[in-house]
Amino acid sequence: MLWSLERIVRYRVLVILAVTLIVAAFVVPGFLRLSTLALGLDRGASIGLIAIGMTVLLIARQIDLSVGSIFGLCGIIAVMLQSSLGVWPAAAVGVLAGAVLGAINGLLTVVLRINSLVATLATMLAFRAIAHWLTESQPVPGADIMLSIALSKVYLEMFTLRAMLFVGLILCLHAWLTWTVAGRNLFAVGSNPEAATASGISPDRTVLLSFIFAGALAGLAGVLQSLTTNTGSPMFGSEILVVIIAAVVVGGTRIEGGKGSALGTLGGVLTITALTTAMEFQSIPAYVQQVVMGSILILLVVLDRTIRPGAHAQAAPAT
Amino acid sequence: MTSAADPKPPQTERFRRETPLALLATRGGLILAIFFVLMFGALSSPMFLTSGNLLNVLTNMSIIGIIVVGMTFVLVVGGLADLSVPATIACGAILSLALQPMLGTVPAFVLAITLAGLCGLVSGVLVGYVGINPIIATLGVGTIVLGIVQSAVGGVIVYGTNPATADFVKGRIFGIPVLVLIFAVVAVAGHLVLSRSYWGRWTMATGGNPIAAEASAIPVRAVRAGAFVLTGLCGGLSGALLGLTLQSARPLVGVGYEFSAITAVVVGGISISGGSGSVPRAIIGLLFVQLLTNVMVLNSVRTPDQGFVLGLLIAAAVALDMALRRRGIA
Repeated sequence: MLWSLERIVRYRVLVILAVTLIVAAFVVPGFLRLSTLALGLDRGASIGLIAIGMTVLLIARQIDLSVGSIFGLCGIIAVMLQSSLGVWPAAAVGVLAGAVLGAINGLLTVVLRINSLVATLATMLAFRAIAHWLTESQPVPGADIMLSIALSKVYLEMFTLRAMLFVGLILCLHAWLTWTVAGRNLFAVGSNPEAATASGISPDRTVLLSFIFAGALAGLAGVLQSLTTNTGSPMFGSEILVVIIAAVVVGGTRIEGGKGSALGTLGGVLTITALTTAMEFQSIPAYVQQVVMGSILILLVVLDRTIRPGAHAQAAPAT
Repeated sequence: MTSAADPKPPQTERFRRETPLALLATRGGLILAIFFVLMFGALSSPMFLTSGNLLNVLTNMSIIGIIVVGMTFVLVVGGLADLSVPATIACGAILSLALQPMLGTVPAFVLAITLAGLCGLVSGVLVGYVGINPIIATLGVGTIVLGIVQSAVGGVIVYGTNPATADFVKGRIFGIPVLVLIFAVVAVAGHLVLSRSYWGRWTMATGGNPIAAEASAIPVRAVRAGAFVLTGLCGGLSGALLGLTLQSARPLVGVGYEFSAITAVVVGGISISGGSGSVPRAIIGLLFVQLLTNVMVLNSVRTPDQGFVLGLLIAAAVALDMALRRRGIA
């Protein structure tokens, strides 16, 4: 069977993306115009950059719930240091801070052996608290407002700087996951840590590096967001988590680890972005959008559990 | 079970959980810590040891405490955590107030809690029967439920129409606040169920070793789902009481309660890996966290900084649990 259920499940992201785009094009007049798409892509880039890191973590059978807090905190750091360090060094420090926060998550998981869900639940709270503490719960204005205009410039009628960065990075990730040894090791660690250890891969090292990578990317996204809006706010990224996990899962990456692809995540991010943009153009209230995002997430996770292409030997007991 | 097919020899840790060292660190240590907080509070603020303040702590504790009882079941059954608590609280608070004019106070109260329980049932089915990771499932269900509740009332703040109910909830019976009484009833019932009933023993067994539990003909899936239904009901009850007390309900009224509850349970020494724990221990953990928060408030530590302390407490408590466990095995 060429078009078996399995095949549809495997390439579901294309199906979902196509359906979303077609429906959006019918419902929203001018949706497929380049300016609308460029706007959507720019907004999707924030989610997308975080989703890149999340893809890597999910493949390694870990998760980071604190990405939203890292996103907010790093943006604040980058904006607050602008006056003393200058714009670009401050931005670099912001990204670096993301990597450090990711390393904290990684160390909690690897050294203290805390389940990453619980560890990052705790750090999500702690990082958000630091963000409130640094800013006294007020938005912080940036130093150079012209920069945000420069960052919002659209090149080739399609890409802002952020969007280019996102697309570029996700293509790099694809290459890394498919063609390098390190990338394949990641899958090995995610699908069977014991077997990976037996074949000379250190799962701890892989997991730690994945956390640092995810933290750095969440930091990068946060810094870019803050530079673009010329503001650092402790509220940035507080509702971003469900959207990101939904985007990654739509792209076919499994919560259970060992499975996933960069191009799938690209599709997932595009789908979620198209959906959000279309709903906003229809002025659907935010809480209804939440219902839609949550439903997509639950639906796909259920689908993943019930239909399994390539039949795994045995379902792991839910922890 | 000595055949070559036996895949998991490290599971023997299950039999050596309650080492004396762990017991000492979790129980004795915590009570010492509570004394320390009490002393520090009394020395640092003249307000701390007044009956008004302590009664305040107790009343605040009751609202979260009801959720803690449910959350204890979730952790013991090995369900990690229920992140849909803010949604079920909002469900209880908003619906019990919004439906008041239509149905009357008591039916609205009951219906709100039932619907919150239904949310718990959805999470429970997803976790227990479909086998989805509990945190992802409750995160998703929570987002959906919060959205539905908000759209049901048009995304606005709901105000109460019957001040008499507020007086009742805030009132006292035999000098004890009604909220505290309700909490006490829930806690005692939860404790008896967890420690003295079939269901409680099944919950422990399922959390300790799901495979062995299933082999002993325990309805593992139903037990798992049950913990989430219970937390949904508790969240609904807590939310409805909160709504009646405040006589107003915002959609985000319950945000943060999930972490407070998880912190309390984890600080109480209940392992995040499931299989052990009791309601009184969780409540001692809650007492510690609440007293600590109260002392911080009295010493004008700002709310976000309190969040930082809570986050640290969760991480530290879980890390301690893991460290003790590894030592217990070795």
